[in-house]
Amino acid sequence: MNESHEEWLARLEKRSHDRQKAFIGGIANRLGHGPMTEAPLNPHRGAPDFWTALEWNTEEKVKRFTDNFLSVGGHVERLASFSDASAFIVDKAKEMDVKIVLRQDEPALNELELEKALPEAEIAVWNSDRDKAWKTEAAGADFGIVQADHAVAYTGSAVVLSSSGKGRSVSLLPTVLFILIPVGRLVTRLGEVLETFDQAGKENLPAGIHFISGPSRSSDIENDLTIGVHGPGIVYALLIG
Amino acid sequence: MSGGSKGGATVKARAEIALNDEFLRKAVRFTTERLRNGKKKASDEQGNWEQWRERGRAIRLHTIAHLDYYLNLFVDNARANGVHIHFAATAAEAVEISLDIARRCGARSVVKSKSMVSEELHLNQALEGIGVEAIESDLGEYIIQLAGEMPSHIVIPAIHKNRYQIAELLSREAGYELPPDTTALAGFVRKKLREKFLEADIGMTGCNFAIAETGSMVLFENEGNARMVSTIPRTQITLMGMERIIPSWSDLEVMATLLPRSATGQKLTMYMSGITGPRRSADADGPDEMHMIIVDNGRSLQLGDPEFQELLNCIRCGACLNACPVYRHIGGHSYGSTYSGPIGAVLTPSLNANVAEWDDIANASTLCGACYEACPVKIPLHDMLVYLRRRKVEDGHGSKLEGLGMGGFAAIMGSSRRLGGMLRLGKTGQRLLLRDGFIKSRLGPLKGWNAYRVTPALPKQSFRDRWPTLEQELRAGLQEMDASVSERLERRLQERTRKDSHGTDSADNSQLNRVRDKQWEGGGGHE
Repeated sequence: MNESHEEWLARLEKRSHDRQKAFIGGIANRLGHGPMTEAPLNPHRGAPDFWTALEWNTEEKVKRFTDNFLSVGGHVERLASFSDASAFIVDKAKEMDVKIVLRQDEPALNELELEKALPEAEIAVWNSDRDKAWKTEAAGADFGIVQADHAVAYTGSAVVLSSSGKGRSVSLLPTVLFILIPVGRLVTRLGEVLETFDQAGKENLPAGIHFISGPSRSSDIENDLTIGVHGPGIVYALLIG
Repeated sequence: MSGGSKGGATVKARAEIALNDEFLRKAVRFTTERLRNGKKKASDEQGNWEQWRERGRAIRLHTIAHLDYYLNLFVDNARANGVHIHFAATAAEAVEISLDIARRCGARSVVKSKSMVSEELHLNQALEGIGVEAIESDLGEYIIQLAGEMPSHIVIPAIHKNRYQIAELLSREAGYELPPDTTALAGFVRKKLREKFLEADIGMTGCNFAIAETGSMVLFENEGNARMVSTIPRTQITLMGMERIIPSWSDLEVMATLLPRSATGQKLTMYMSGITGPRRSADADGPDEMHMIIVDNGRSLQLGDPEFQELLNCIRCGACLNACPVYRHIGGHSYGSTYSGPIGAVLTPSLNANVAEWDDIANASTLCGACYEACPVKIPLHDMLVYLRRRKVEDGHGSKLEGLGMGGFAAIMGSSRRLGGMLRLGKTGQRLLLRDGFIKSRLGPLKGWNAYRVTPALPKQSFRDRWPTLEQELRAGLQEMDASVSERLERRLQERTRKDSHGTDSADNSQLNRVRDKQWEGGGGHE
């Protein structure tokens, strides 16, 4: 029983490899073919052609995104620039008497200069100090501020990708979430974003890819809609440009 | 193999309990109605729904027909991403692996997001058994866990509880009295579970789809608890049915178009997350260690079975439950198993390979086909219910009296003269039993039938008597059958009877048909 964690993992790994052959061989057997080494011809990849042809112009995309996001209880603002976004967030922070703001570590968000505009609040930058318990920090934050990597008009979704400076918790644990979306990142269909992950390949995918389409919600009690059951209950999509 | 907890009674007995519960009946009807209307609105709005269903079916058929290839690809890629993969042929093996990991991590608590596979395994009891607290974090699942019950609907598990009952359960947990107010109750759960998420050693999730080409897993949810469970604890365990695979992210667009619309009428769930391996070394959140347990537990019994292989196409949306007139009447608990509704009626006996034991749930259906019409990947569930009934009879589990009755029915219906004679005889004979135009007697052969209904009196003029006139009217005024309906019927008839399949159909259909042929040649031997 003095097996180390690594030895234990190695033992499981070996067992997994040993079993893989029988497990998957059994499937091939039942399907009535031998081991497959080459990819089967797949005539039906992705959405039908009539769908992939759909493309909206910028104003249509902004309108559809806005309608969708509002319809599920989210908030949307169209702003001209990042400094307008900063002013909007500062305004809300004062209105709600915010104590802790947590934001991703990104150049565009540095330029919001929230530290200057909100001297009385703590402005934390994700993973800026390696020793800090960042998940706990996020759970205590009033505002979380992120920039979307993509956004989808058809479903009203913002897409955030994780990295060392971009925590998954920042868009999840704070009470209020602000998602800054440069209008140039807004596409029409979900597939336009999904295809980029196929193109990137597994080596270039982040650990977490999250499509966020509004505030956390549940209808589990008597079909009565409740907002903010686990994730942020108040979500602002700030469309910039 | 474990047969699941059946509660020791029949569907009829459990349905009687459900039918007596006024609230449950109303709640189920209201909820299914709401979800069904939502789906209709969302699919109408999307447009070209038939083409979307067809594409969804094609992708699922193709993947399942080459499941060995895609599963291998997924496993290799997920391993390359740093995921520890485990294979479990049975529920017991999956439980054993989970417990091994929990022990190794010295876990005191496991937070879970919704996973139907976990329900199949009865994993919570097993974890409690080794002193590990298992906490369901989906609001509805949390409620029924406190109540010690099973989910009654695949999408809305606590559909059968009202807010007074929920307030009572949560007050007991809180140690003080909570008002029967939805916002207050959800607020309590948010606070309570926040602590649990932050304390837990292990997060456990299910898996909606697994992307073979990149080794990623995808979760759909509205509350954010699945994100919590896969972001905060140090160790993540994902339970995955071995058929959850799709080839690519591009295919996910089709599934993401079909699943939320069919389940709740949403364009997309509030969160859709793609997780590719544990946290990268520079990341400050996400699990350090990620395990995926790939579970068979009876699924491979459907592979190569011409009548049931398409069950593996199921994406677990629950649309067939909402569409089913029987489910809407009796609710999920009456099915007595993890999966309820039409999909449960077929899946449960198939997973457990014990048709006889679950024979009554295949009969809890009217074979109206509403489940097929609702299914986003076009699984012919009503056909499967018939196959199941046939197998039950073939296995010698039919009712002898029913067989005798059917024999008599055949004898009478086989000859028009005999039928005419019987009807005349009945018209005279029924006078002995007739009260107010109905026959309520439970004498002799009428016992079973009239226990739950009354038999109407035979009419003065029978259908046969009226037929000559009717036939003339019909011939004069018969409209052509709706073209799409007749085309569909024709097509399905061809699909089901075609033996030689190397024709014009898609590769996957012919693959499936080849499997069917093979099976027939081999005498239809399923385990």
